[in-house]
Amino acid sequence: MSPPAGTTPAGQEPADDIEYADPGLARERTELSWTRTAIAFAALGAALLKYRPVVGLPVLVLSAVVWRLGQLPGTAGAGDVRDRRLLLITVTTVGVSLVALVLSFLGPGIVSLR
Amino acid sequence: MTDQPGGKNPATTSTDDDGTEPDARYTFANERTFLAWSRTSLALIVGGLAIAQLLPPFPGIPWGRHVIGTPLILLGCAVSVISYLEWKASQRALRHGEPLPRSRLPQILAIAITVIGLIAAGLALLSAVGVP
Repeated sequence: MSPPAGTTPAGQEPADDIEYADPGLARERTELSWTRTAIAFAALGAALLKYRPVVGLPVLVLSAVVWRLGQLPGTAGAGDVRDRRLLLITVTTVGVSLVALVLSFLGPGIVSLR
Repeated sequence: MTDQPGGKNPATTSTDDDGTEPDARYTFANERTFLAWSRTSLALIVGGLAIAQLLPPFPGIPWGRHVIGTPLILLGCAVSVISYLEWKASQRALRHGEPLPRSRLPQILAIAITVIGLIAAGLALLSAVGVP
């Protein structure tokens, strides 16, 4: 038997209010987002590792660093820490883009290395 | 010097900003948006590199791959930097209880991808016409 409209069974929160009642879900989703970003770095590193190990290995290490950064507590009030973490992601991405730019122009293409 | 109206706890405020710490959920949401844009920029960089290195050269247009790949890599770099600046601006607005600034990244991305797509289509047509 369903509860009357406007009420919920004892011990249960309405589905729409779970996020409001438990902000930890936001934290968890953010950690998952960090994990996805780390996986993106790892995928790039693995792809580069096959053809350019010197470049791929540092990117793989960076992916581990990104994953670890996502595990660090990002509590409210840790604005400076958060700023530095996100700045590190930006600097890393800019660095990767510069390396990619150099790789795209220098040396033989990957196709010709096969 | 930071003046905290209403006797706010200094521990909940950033040292370089005189605003107050917003609801943690908004801060996390802002962070997730930045991370999503970072992944987009990584995808653009990988795509540009793959086009420049993996794509066979256009017949008769050997530089064609770079015309497509290089802008994608530069776009990825720009998206990364702009997303950080927008994260900072949004965080500042949240701390001061102001309206969130409007993001320009969707517009930039849409225009840039459209232009690069048109260039790619032009190159494909040129190479097809130029093949004897």
